Amino acid sequence: MTAPPALLRMSAPLRDDFEIPYHHIGDGEPKVAVVAGIHGDELNGVFVVSRLARFLKAVAAGEHPGQRLVAPVLIVPAVNVLGVNTRNRRWPFDSTDINRMFPGYDAGETTQRIAHAVLELTRPAHYRLDIHSSNLDFEEIPQVRLYEPTERERDSSRLFGLAAVIERPMNTIFTSTIGHAWRAFGGENFVVQAGQAGVLQPPHCARLFRALVAFLVRSGILRGVDLSEEDEDTHYFGLRQTLPLISDNAGFFLSRLDVGRWVQAGDVVGQVYDGFDGELRHEIKAPVAGLLSGMRRQPLLFEGDLVARIQTRHPVTEGVDTYLHGQGQ
Amino acid sequence: MGVRIDQDAILTLQLPYRERLQVRRTVFDGGGTPTVAVVAGIHGDELEGLYVCHRLAAWLESLVTRRPDALRGRVELYPALNPLGVDTLQRFVPVFDTDLNRNFPGHAAGLLPQRITEAVMRHLAGAALVLDIHASNVFLREIPQVRINEAFAEHLVPLARRMNIDIIWLHGALTVLEATIAHSLNARDTPCLVVEMGVGMRITPAFTDQLMTGILRAWRDLGVLDSDVPLDDLTHHPLIADDSNVHYLNAETSGLFVPEAEHWTSVTKGQRLGCIVSAHEGRVLSEVRSPVDGVLFTLREYPVVYEGSLMARIMAVAAPSACGGLDG
Repeated sequence: MTAPPALLRMSAPLRDDFEIPYHHIGDGEPKVAVVAGIHGDELNGVFVVSRLARFLKAVAAGEHPGQRLVAPVLIVPAVNVLGVNTRNRRWPFDSTDINRMFPGYDAGETTQRIAHAVLELTRPAHYRLDIHSSNLDFEEIPQVRLYEPTERERDSSRLFGLAAVIERPMNTIFTSTIGHAWRAFGGENFVVQAGQAGVLQPPHCARLFRALVAFLVRSGILRGVDLSEEDEDTHYFGLRQTLPLISDNAGFFLSRLDVGRWVQAGDVVGQVYDGFDGELRHEIKAPVAGLLSGMRRQPLLFEGDLVARIQTRHPVTEGVDTYLHGQGQ
Repeated sequence: MGVRIDQDAILTLQLPYRERLQVRRTVFDGGGTPTVAVVAGIHGDELEGLYVCHRLAAWLESLVTRRPDALRGRVELYPALNPLGVDTLQRFVPVFDTDLNRNFPGHAAGLLPQRITEAVMRHLAGAALVLDIHASNVFLREIPQVRINEAFAEHLVPLARRMNIDIIWLHGALTVLEATIAHSLNARDTPCLVVEMGVGMRITPAFTDQLMTGILRAWRDLGVLDSDVPLDDLTHHPLIADDSNVHYLNAETSGLFVPEAEHWTSVTKGQRLGCIVSAHEGRVLSEVRSPVDGVLFTLREYPVVYEGSLMARIMAVAAPSACGGLDG
C-alpha cells in the first residue's frame, strides 16, 4: 500500500516527524473537500469521514457495481493529529485552537502553518464541509450550521437531509475559523455539527454518514447510490429561531431527554440539585415549544450555564445574541 | 473629604458545589475625579500585572497615610479578572476553556466568561485611563511595551509615550481582536492601553519598577494625584514598532532552542542569536541569526520548539547602538 498524501509534514521536538494525511479520491481537481478533527476531541466526525473515505474509495475502485464517483473528493479525517492522539481539543503544545488560526500563514507559528496548509489544499473545491461535534459538555443533533450564508448555500443545505439547518449570527470569533476563511474562495461552504466531543455516538454517526452520502448524491457527485431510508423532515431555523436555555442556578444538573425530540412549552427539561445537601433546587422547563437541538451532558453546572438549545418554529426575540461566543462552533 | 479604601466584588457567581466565584477589586477613592484603573490577570498564567497591583496598592496606602489630600481622583485595581484561572494555574477560564480576552464586551445573561466581561465593561466604562497589563505567555519574554491598534493610535500613542516603557507597537486592526478588553473599551471612548512585559508564570520586579514610574506620572498628569506629588523622572523613551520594522524569527525545525544573545540588546545583521539543537544527538539542527540590525525585544524563554515556533522578534533600527540596554 502506498502512503497517503499529506497536506503538511513537520518535524517534532523529540518523537518522529509527523504529518497530516488526507484522502484524494478520484483523479484531478477536487469538487468536494471534507475536513474533520480540527478539534482533536471531536471524534464522531473523524470516524465518519474515515468511513466515508473507505466507501468512496471502494466506489471509485469499481467495487460497487452501478455506483460511480463522478468528481474527485478530498477528505481530511483529522487536522489536529496530535490532538486526537493525546485527547486534546486544541493543538496540544501551545494550547491554540486551530479553528481560531485561519487563514493562517505559511511562515508563522505551527498552527498558523497548519491552517494555511489546510486552506491551500481545500481551496480548489467547490463544496467545502467542516465537520464538528460541539464540545465535551454538550450534545447536539446532527445539523448544518450556516453563518451569513449565500442563497445557494441556503438551498444546498437541504441536500444533507438532516432534521435541522440552523443559521447562526456572524461574530468576531468566527472570522478566524476555517468556515469563514473559505468564504473568500467562493463556492459553497458548510459547517456540519454532530453529537458531543470526547465520545463516539453510533446513532449520530449513522445520521452524519447518511447526510454526507445524501449530499454527494444530490449534488451529482455520487451516482447509482440508493438512499433507501427516507429523509428526516428538514427544518430551516433562521437567526431568531434559536433559544438558548440558561440556568440561573448552580449545582448538579440531571436530564433524561434525548436530543432531536420536540418539546412543548412547560415541559421539564431537567433538574438542578444542590450537590452538598441533595436538595432539589430548581426544575428547568422549556419556555417555548420547539426542537431540542442540543442538551447539556455535563452535570456540574455554573450559574449562567447553557443547559439546552431549543429551535423554535417562530422567531423568538430574546437571547439570540447570548451565544455569540458560545460553546462549540 | 477623607480618602476611602474599599475592597468589593464586581461580580459574584455560584459554582456547582457550594463555593462562589468573586471578581474583586480594591478602590482608593480621593472623592474627586477622574477615575483610573489597572486590570491584570485576564490570563491566569500572567502574573506580572498582579505584582504591579500589589506595588501600586502599597504606594497608595503609604501616600494616603502621609498625605491623604494628595489623592484627588479615584484608583481602581483589578489584579485578577480571571481569578479562577490564577488560583488553578490556567491561562484560560477553567472549565469553559475560553480566552477571557476574546469574550468582550460580554453579556449579563451569557456564560460565566461573558458575565465577567460584561461586569468589567460596566465598571470600567468612563474611566480616564485603563491599563490592561499582560505578561506575554510561558513561551516568550517581552520588554515592557504598549501595544496599540492603529485605529486608536492618534489618541493612545501620546498617552503611551509617557508610560516609561521601551516600545510602542502599532498593529493592524484585526477583527478577532475586537473581542478584547482594549478594543471594547477604546471603541466606547474609554482609553485603554495594553501593556505587555516579562514572561508568563513569573514576576520581573525591575519591569514593575519601570512601569510604576510611568503609571504614577500618568495619573499625576491626569489629576488623579496632586501635581506636587514627587515622582521619579522618566527613564525610558519608547521606540515605535510596526509591521514595517518588526522581524519575526520562527523556528526552521523542531528541537531545543538555546539562546546566546541577551534579551533587549542591540544585535547586528547576521549575528548568531542562538541555535536549535537535537536532544538525541550532538549536532546543531539550525542556527538562528538576526536578519537585520536592530534590538532584540522578544526572546523565547521556553526551550522546546516546533517548526514555526516564535523564538525572537527584532525591531530594525538604523543605528542600534543608539538604543539603551535594559536599565537595571
